[in-house]
Amino acid sequence: MNLTDEGSIIERCKKGDREAFASIVQQYMKPAYYVALGYVGRPDDALDLSQDAFVNAFRHIKRFDSSRKFFPWFYSILKNLCMNHIARTRRRQESSIDQMAEEGPVPIPVETVDPEQNALRRDLEARVGQALQRLRPRDREIIILQHFQDYSYQEIADLLGIPIGTVMSRLYGARQAMRRELERLGVK
Amino acid sequence: MPEDIYKPLLMGYLDSELTAIEVLRMEQHLEQCPECRRELEEFRKLKEVTQNMRVVTPDARSWEEYWSHVYNRLERTIGWIFMSIGAILVTSYGVYSLVAKFLLRSDIPLVVRLGIVALVVGFCTLLISVLRERIFMARMDKYERIKR
Repeated sequence: MNLTDEGSIIERCKKGDREAFASIVQQYMKPAYYVALGYVGRPDDALDLSQDAFVNAFRHIKRFDSSRKFFPWFYSILKNLCMNHIARTRRRQESSIDQMAEEGPVPIPVETVDPEQNALRRDLEARVGQALQRLRPRDREIIILQHFQDYSYQEIADLLGIPIGTVMSRLYGARQAMRRELERLGVK
Repeated sequence: MPEDIYKPLLMGYLDSELTAIEVLRMEQHLEQCPECRRELEEFRKLKEVTQNMRVVTPDARSWEEYWSHVYNRLERTIGWIFMSIGAILVTSYGVYSLVAKFLLRSDIPLVVRLGIVALVVGFCTLLISVLRERIFMARMDKYERIKR
């Protein structure tokens, strides 16, 4: 969808056209899910939050300048929702100290696109999932988009509304952190 | 170019995202910089480890139903707005009627009027408390405390 097409669809959304908004949702639901997963780490929560973000976006669509790309604006709504969710979850965990002490953070589920699975590979997937979970949300987000979902630098730059140079420098920092976490988990 | 500029460019080189000129510059730099060569090698290993790995994505049905979930939530939001307006109007009328019909009437003993006020305030406090607890419980994972 180019910027002109998107702009005219957004104009229809501003008039309350929900079918037009459905096409925006179809276009961006997957990146929205991956970004949310990067922040919150749990697939169910990521799906839920990404849907809530679309609802909020539709409610405030009149404030959006349709000459600009939709996703970077939507991204700020989604990011706020995710940060609020993280703060709420942290408060809840702090109120049940016993549970927090017994359980570590839940690893992000990772799978290999390869029918020939073995125990070694599954163990590696589990460690990679743990390493991912230990990253800062900001690092996890870019690692998931580039490393695990094969988005190009241009696509990431468009989605997050940042220059390609920033994509590269963020990726550099995130990969360094990922390498450190994997080493800590015994993956060399 | 200063050394720091090459660090992020290493990513573009590793992922084949650089232009032909940038690739040439990067290769020239790599020939004379053992530090960047070592880092590149380590990042290559990281790429190999995670090769063909994907974060688990929701199944096809979840994607098919995605829009309908968003739509339902949109509809519910409108429902909540109308319900809230209705509740405010009805409650305001109730409060007005209570004040006009009972509390300002001098033929009803003061103790009865105070009793009515206490009854209404107590009922509303309990109702709000129970509702808040229910909403909080509904948002929580019911099986969170169960060890798997």
